[in-house]
Amino acid sequence: MAISTATKAATDALAVNRAPVSVGAQEVHKWMQSFTWDFDKNRTKYSTKYKMANDTKEQFKLIAKEYARMESVKDERQFGSLQDVLTRVDAANRVHPKWNESMKVISNFLEVGEYNAIAATGMLWDSASAPEQKNGYLGQVMDEIRHTNQCAYINYYFAKQGQDAAGHNDARRTRAIGPLWKGMKRVFADGFISGDAVECSINLQLVGEACFTNPLIVAVTEWASANGDEMTPTVFLSIETDELRHMANGYQTIVSIANDEAASKYLNTDLNNAFWTQQKYFTPVLGMMFEYGSHFKVEPWVKTWNRWVYEDWGGIWIGRLGKYGVESPASLRDAKKDAYWAHHDLFLLAYAMWPTGFFRVSLPTAEEAEWYEANYPGWYEMYGKVYEEWRARGCEDPNSGFLPLQWFAENNHPIYIDRVSQVPFCPSYCKGASTLRVLESNGKKHSFSDPWGERMWLSEPERYECQNIYEQYEGRELSEVVAEGHGVRSDGFTLISQPHTNKDGKLWTLDDIKKIGCVFTDPLKAL
Amino acid sequence: MSIEVSGGKRGLTDPVIAAQILAAIPDKPLETQRKMNYFVTPRGRRLNEYEVLCCYTQPTPDWIAGGLDWGDWTQKFHGGRPSWSNESTEMRTTDWHKHRDPAFRWHYLYVKDKAEEWRYTDRFLKAYSADGHVRSIDPVWRDEVLGDYLGAFGFSEYGLFNSHSSVTRDCLGDTIRMSTAMIGLDKVDNAQMIQAERTFLAKIVPGFNESTDIPKAEWTKGQIYKGARETVEDIWQATYDWNEILFSGHMIYDPLFGQFVRREFFLRLSAYYGDNLTPFFINQMQLYHSQTKGITTDMFHTCLSADTEFGEYNDRLMRAWSDKWLPRTVNALKDFMGIFAKIPEIKGVTSKDAIQAALERVFEDWERDYAAPIGYKVDTAAHIKTILTGLK
Ligand SMILES: [Fe+2]
Ligand SMILES: [Fe+2]
Repeated sequence: MAISTATKAATDALAVNRAPVSVGAQEVHKWMQSFTWDFDKNRTKYSTKYKMANDTKEQFKLIAKEYARMESVKDERQFGSLQDVLTRVDAANRVHPKWNESMKVISNFLEVGEYNAIAATGMLWDSASAPEQKNGYLGQVMDEIRHTNQCAYINYYFAKQGQDAAGHNDARRTRAIGPLWKGMKRVFADGFISGDAVECSINLQLVGEACFTNPLIVAVTEWASANGDEMTPTVFLSIETDELRHMANGYQTIVSIANDEAASKYLNTDLNNAFWTQQKYFTPVLGMMFEYGSHFKVEPWVKTWNRWVYEDWGGIWIGRLGKYGVESPASLRDAKKDAYWAHHDLFLLAYAMWPTGFFRVSLPTAEEAEWYEANYPGWYEMYGKVYEEWRARGCEDPNSGFLPLQWFAENNHPIYIDRVSQVPFCPSYCKGASTLRVLESNGKKHSFSDPWGERMWLSEPERYECQNIYEQYEGRELSEVVAEGHGVRSDGFTLISQPHTNKDGKLWTLDDIKKIGCVFTDPLKAL
Repeated sequence: MSIEVSGGKRGLTDPVIAAQILAAIPDKPLETQRKMNYFVTPRGRRLNEYEVLCCYTQPTPDWIAGGLDWGDWTQKFHGGRPSWSNESTEMRTTDWHKHRDPAFRWHYLYVKDKAEEWRYTDRFLKAYSADGHVRSIDPVWRDEVLGDYLGAFGFSEYGLFNSHSSVTRDCLGDTIRMSTAMIGLDKVDNAQMIQAERTFLAKIVPGFNESTDIPKAEWTKGQIYKGARETVEDIWQATYDWNEILFSGHMIYDPLFGQFVRREFFLRLSAYYGDNLTPFFINQMQLYHSQTKGITTDMFHTCLSADTEFGEYNDRLMRAWSDKWLPRTVNALKDFMGIFAKIPEIKGVTSKDAIQAALERVFEDWERDYAAPIGYKVDTAAHIKTILTGLK
């Protein structure tokens, strides 16, 4: 159209219709796919054996400003609730103490996952070639910043308002001392960002988010609420509203590589490895946080696990991807066995290593013991009796001079660390499937607790060179390690972590630990 | 069983559960230090909410400067490359966690601002269209300059946007990572605003072509953006050092080329061609530019140039990078001069003297705010002279 007639047409059009006109997000988004262009160097900086298709679309068609609008509406609601009514009713001081402690770990560890997901989705934004697919990942980059801040807000809130600020106020400085940290980093940090970009997407989105986010973020709100905590549901349910986008991103990753030949060769192996990687930590740790980190119980972990992981994810979600050649992971059946006993095994060790935590842990009460036995028959014989013995020997009392770690030594039950998952295990005292395998390479010994992880190590040992806590602390005395890792309260000598949450119970100090003379020794050296 | 809570009973409101909880809570708080992140060095006099929520969210081992964690990465890339490592950049520092967004924006504050801008954009466009303002735009300016060349500039913004992806993956600090994602999002927002303006024009000017085809051809094959395109492609995909990506994009190319195109071309000239629409969008981009400038000058000047141990080394490196990227940016501006042959000349506005004055403004700003702080000597007059040879 010639220029002058266009002007006339505009004028004429206005004469007929002066209705206000604006532009909607969708009208802009529909051009997104054409925003890129071909050039020689246009390739990702992160290698992947798969090829992502150039025309992959996204499901959530947002532009930057519309994204901001939607998120800020949710933020106003959420922070409004926290700052207004929940503060007025002093909600942080109406949370069961056991749960107050659990949120130190849950919120901070999830924060690490959220934080690393920023970098992970940055890598995927780089790897994808289709602008819409890039845009989907970009939305997630921003979401994960949001979630990082939200998780932080929980600890910030509990520190400021709640009954025990220690650990909430300094988790980022003290969290690295204990045995749960390294394993968490594998699943929540390095597993998302270090590897083939598509493999990382599978770890983060297809497994981490589609599979474990439901139990983690949704189930945790039910446990929180039962234990008096309404802050966590306020924040976590708001996080969850973004997760649909992330699961859709994971789905689109698969769609984008479905026609690539590499998918038929590698996809199911990568999925199986990713699933095992994630479940190896989350299955025991989530079960432990829920069941042992609460007083009021929602349902046995094994039920939650079967519903969300086995049926919903392994069945329905993976089933939907079946048309792209995706199969249910071969390791799912072994994982299902872990869902029954692994968290009980792990708590036994976590409790025993309590001084290295940044939270207080408690032995099951009589009421709780009854609940475990009813839901996990055989629990008392294996665990309940041990806890009774520990309690009788004064494990909660700083004057007793007894740390449950001594019980493991006395009874010749060494605790090992699995090289690949970094999860501690005690092969001679467990009901779960842990078995000990030790391999040597370059003069260094490596212990493994399951064949799936061992196989990952055998094919790529250079990916799993990380020292474990024994190698790090070898020969050092426990109270020294705790002090160096800032595991003390503001008085400078009382530990943040404690072996009980009894309101009148005495608190342990560095001296109480020092007296016992507990020194780190690597059990692999004895082999 | 009494401790299994069924039917979604809430500990806060169920009287039986609530009573048990209250009985278990200590009579007085166990810890007096209630400030989260109390061990962090605040940028200002006291720790603010942004620093509480963002600082040290990254689990950095202590062999990366400023890290609080220890040991190795628990899983590495195939072949053993670490998750994050010092060799991802040539820059050195005593603390990768030192950076702060001068506006202290965490996610909530960032999206709150952008959400307001979007709502206001919507209201503005409605008023603008109902007012019949569009009739006053010079037709050549509207159809060729906005339709084609503003559209083509959108690709520059989009390319720069994509240069932030690998930085978001690779950079070594948490506050830097968050800032990078935010200034990256602003760039795609710019590209989208340009398309929004063109789509809006198409809705109120029958026959106006909103398609990206012609702008894209202009960007990929035309002469006016040739130098710009080649520079953007190199920033985006040929540069691997994450600091160099941010430096080349935000400390050289954008404050010179981007500023000239946005501020001295579209923003300054639009009023002369009866266009009051484009300034609405460009002003938002200028706001983002100034916020970004705050962020990147904090990274490169306040943190890296002023680093107690590596400041001098970093300055030298930044000067070397300037030597590499400045000529390309000058070349991009020289190519862009071709655009003045495409618009109806207005004496003292689009004539050579006015263009030279505009270039001087941009270069003076750059010299003062970007070059001088790292001790970079620049012969502004010579560069402007080179650029002006691009006038047709
Ligand atoms: Fe998230
Ligand atoms: Fe997510």
